[in-house]
Amino acid sequence: MDLITRIKMAFKEAELYRSQGLLDEAIDKYTAIEALIKTSKNIRQRKSILEKIASRIDELNQKVKRISAPTPPPKVTEDAQTLMKEMFTYDDPDAKGSSSLGGAIALAKFGQYDKAIEELNRLLEYKSLRLEAAKHILSCWMHQNYVDYAVTLFQKWKKTQFFPPDELELVREHFRELLSSSGIQREIGGIELQKTIEPDSEINEEDILDISATRFSLPGGPRKGERVEFEVSFQSGKFIQFIVPRREKDLISGLHTGVMLKDIVFYSPAAIFSGTGFLSSKKAIEAGPKKGDFSFSIKIIDIKS
Amino acid sequence: MAVINLKNRQIECKLVYYGPGRSGKTANLEYINKNFSKQVAGKMISIDTEGDRTLFFDFLPIGLGKIRGCDVRVQLYTVPGQVKYRATRELVLRGADGVIFVADSLAVRREKNMMSLKDLHENLKKMGLDIRKIPLALQYNKRDLEKEGLPIMSIEKMERELNRQLKVQSFPTSALTGEGVGKTLIHTIKLILAHLQKEFKWADGV
Repeated sequence: MDLITRIKMAFKEAELYRSQGLLDEAIDKYTAIEALIKTSKNIRQRKSILEKIASRIDELNQKVKRISAPTPPPKVTEDAQTLMKEMFTYDDPDAKGSSSLGGAIALAKFGQYDKAIEELNRLLEYKSLRLEAAKHILSCWMHQNYVDYAVTLFQKWKKTQFFPPDELELVREHFRELLSSSGIQREIGGIELQKTIEPDSEINEEDILDISATRFSLPGGPRKGERVEFEVSFQSGKFIQFIVPRREKDLISGLHTGVMLKDIVFYSPAAIFSGTGFLSSKKAIEAGPKKGDFSFSIKIIDIKS
Repeated sequence: MAVINLKNRQIECKLVYYGPGRSGKTANLEYINKNFSKQVAGKMISIDTEGDRTLFFDFLPIGLGKIRGCDVRVQLYTVPGQVKYRATRELVLRGADGVIFVADSLAVRREKNMMSLKDLHENLKKMGLDIRKIPLALQYNKRDLEKEGLPIMSIEKMERELNRQLKVQSFPTSALTGEGVGKTLIHTIKLILAHLQKEFKWADGV
């Protein structure tokens, strides 16, 4: 087989591998073609062909890098989440007692943490399931690297005596193991802490634009799940404050300090972006022209896009 | 794990398509979804990245109607083939009543086939299952590329490397054209039903 025919066949092969998504194989083949062409100076438009090959190899390398990069699991459709809940609830030691718990655990295993936490939170109401539900809630937060929030949540359970002492001890033990296996040293027992621990923010204050309003899903209350827009009344770096009129009591009752809001949209004159925030305070206004109204503040933890 | 309700005479079982990345597992389900629409009993669900590589799984429910008086449904799943999704493959494989291993006939994918088969063997072992005892069929996929003059392995070579010890039924296939897709599916379903009959005797007296 002459050189030109060999090169043509090799191109055909490389293109097939590329079209089949066999990127490493395609890169190897293009590299081999490159070497083959370099052995002969008699090929027409040699320089231009070599440039095209180099460009194709570069493009493929970029694609390999993109595919191989670790990414958090995407949120899937409701149909897919329902399937995960129903079809992957298998007989598992972690899922003792209930297919609802098994379904929630299955969601967590597929990285659908928000949905898993939502399901697990519901199961906290059931005495026979709350212990396992609590353990998996903490696991879900830890998997998403929201360590401070997991600590806050555990302390809230401790403070409100949500669990009887023997169950709390089991939750504490599980949490200690989670922290230890993540290489995190954090005190979660001992002295009662009166103050909620605020999670650290990744944001550099100088990078935050002036925010005029935010929109997020209410985490609780009669209008839970409804996406509501709030106008910012005051901003200091990563802390933004809002005022809610007293007539909107059902909005304010859905907000609790220590809650992480994961799907906030921030509106600024220059851009719209999304991120996560921590509800750091909430109180009734006791004096001044806004007396009787409510205020709450959010600490911006991270910005996604 | 098959769900068998002898009172209502209903059987539901799980068949998983396994194999290295890009071997044609999703293409199999897509072909079945398009060409066996009478048997398809629900929506095909695919969870992939940028419409390209399977991320979690594909799912397709099919109904086979009444077999020996029992209403039989089969849930078809594919696993993600990329090496990094090992944990997801384990999860999807759990409870499988049968497996179709989709091997890539391209010569450059020879090692990937073998690694993936080893992966299947290890995952089944973790679940307490023996690869030699579970209903299993092999597909030697992408046979259509032979006509294009591209380097694919011969059936004999693939049999030697993948099926020498297993000795299960193998099928030359092209998930793109559909050649062999239906045959593999029907064969494996029959294996599953025979296996379930042996375990649960669901067809006795019918």
